[in-house]
Amino acid sequence: MAVFSEADRESLHVRQADEAFCVGPGPVPRSYLNIPNLISTALITGCDAVHPGYGFLAENARFAEICADHGLTFIGPKPTVITAMGDKATAKRVMADAGVATTPGTDILDSVDEAKAAAQKIGYPVLLKATAGGGGKGMRVVESAAEMERAYASATAEAEASFKDGRVYMEKLIRNPRHIEVQVLADEFGTVVTMGERDCSVQKPSHQKLIEESPAPHLTERVRASLFEMASRACKHVGYTNAGTLEFLVAGEDVYFMEMNTRIQVEHPVTEMVYSVDLVKEQIRIAAGEPLGYTQKDLQLRGHAIECRINAEDPRNNFSPQAGTLSKVVFPGGPGIRVDTHVYSGAMVPPYYDSMLAKVIAFGASREAAIARMERALRETVIEGVNTTIAQCLEILATPRFREGRYDIGFLPALLLAEAAGATGSR
Amino acid sequence: MSDEHHPSALTARVAGLAELLAGTDLLRLRIEREGEAIELGRRTLHRDEVPDMPGDLSQIDGAPARLEAIKSDLVGIFHASRPAVSEGDLLEGDRELGYIEALGIRNPVRSLGAGRIVSIKRADGEPVEYGAVLFELDRG
Repeated sequence: MAVFSEADRESLHVRQADEAFCVGPGPVPRSYLNIPNLISTALITGCDAVHPGYGFLAENARFAEICADHGLTFIGPKPTVITAMGDKATAKRVMADAGVATTPGTDILDSVDEAKAAAQKIGYPVLLKATAGGGGKGMRVVESAAEMERAYASATAEAEASFKDGRVYMEKLIRNPRHIEVQVLADEFGTVVTMGERDCSVQKPSHQKLIEESPAPHLTERVRASLFEMASRACKHVGYTNAGTLEFLVAGEDVYFMEMNTRIQVEHPVTEMVYSVDLVKEQIRIAAGEPLGYTQKDLQLRGHAIECRINAEDPRNNFSPQAGTLSKVVFPGGPGIRVDTHVYSGAMVPPYYDSMLAKVIAFGASREAAIARMERALRETVIEGVNTTIAQCLEILATPRFREGRYDIGFLPALLLAEAAGATGSR
Repeated sequence: MSDEHHPSALTARVAGLAELLAGTDLLRLRIEREGEAIELGRRTLHRDEVPDMPGDLSQIDGAPARLEAIKSDLVGIFHASRPAVSEGDLLEGDRELGYIEALGIRNPVRSLGAGRIVSIKRADGEPVEYGAVLFELDRG
């Protein structure tokens, strides 16, 4: 059973679902965040379980509780664990209790005055982050005290609109680290496995990821082992079940826990490709009470995978989102190429939602092979009617820093700045 | 006289145009060709021209319907009101036509004014999604 808003009536997922129910009009609060309509849909259509996807209510502990109250299995961790780990501010405290290093930061900030005081203590620059958040939403860099009022107001408003939870917390901004995350799966019998790491350092200035890959290039085995050990220890400490991702900031040999996303991630396909696993299927199996059936030693990483997010955005205009009709859509194919999408020729891109149109994933026996396949796939991709990030992704893949695997989260913003400076002739 | 101008052919042409006009909401249709013209107009009915007025809209044949859809604004199970309304019923004002049961809560579906029930689109006990058309009303 698929749910959709009136704006998504013609979406591919609606067309391909066995059944589909409209849950509201285009605006998110009245459809995809409309808990009564979502629960009502599940009940009257005889559903047993609810998969929240990513975004919207995927990390909303209250929604998970409401599902349970109505006899519906929420495909994800238990509400108490979502509260402990999905609430970003609380998670850091829990991780510190588990002996995991965290970035200096705060709990939930109840006011802008509290934010100012905290920033003074931590030391600028700082990062305001949505506690229920992800995807860069509700996140603001604050360089100085003069910027705090506007940043706090803006971050809380965006968090409220995106996740129905406007609470924010603060972290020390570590300049240009690598964003490395670890995929975990845990069943209800105490088995926890880590499924490798993903390097998600290619991020837009808004901190939204654009390109992800697995495994992370040039990660030392010491750091890799440390990441997996911390992720596994954290999951066991909180009694985590189902799929999740622990995100870390890595600066050299230093590793800091950043946050845990208690859901499936957008970039999960790169892990699926290198571990030959269907993570969503594993989520459903775990939620149905099945044991994983394998342990860490049974898992074998093979090859290399890269994902490029194809968004309806204009990279030359600060990645401003685009809406409109896709007059022509052609997606690539061939060995090692996977495309996850909801669009097709003639599809409408509504203005209400995240701008992602498709994920193109390339797998190869080596990183070089994966890059080559991705470049061919992107060149074969045609999307007309809106601006997209295809050209931007190709440009990134061609840079020496990306090809050498020596990039961090400052890489793309610096590239864009250099391009802008070159375009205006300024130095 | 050509076949085209024969009275029987002309009658057939006029009948065809009348049928065409009836299928639209046009009030007047005029066709001119080679110095000849055929003009058809829809007769506007006045209250004192129609027997059994006011109120008996069902007596007027061919009057264009101003259909308004009453839609569900939530997800749930549709239930007809008691006593149930029927197709053709004339509503003199706002009244409850049915309700949507969602999460144990009864959410009335109202006509929001007078009109004639042209069609009932959902059966009692049927699940309905957001935006599902429940009734079509002719506001007259």
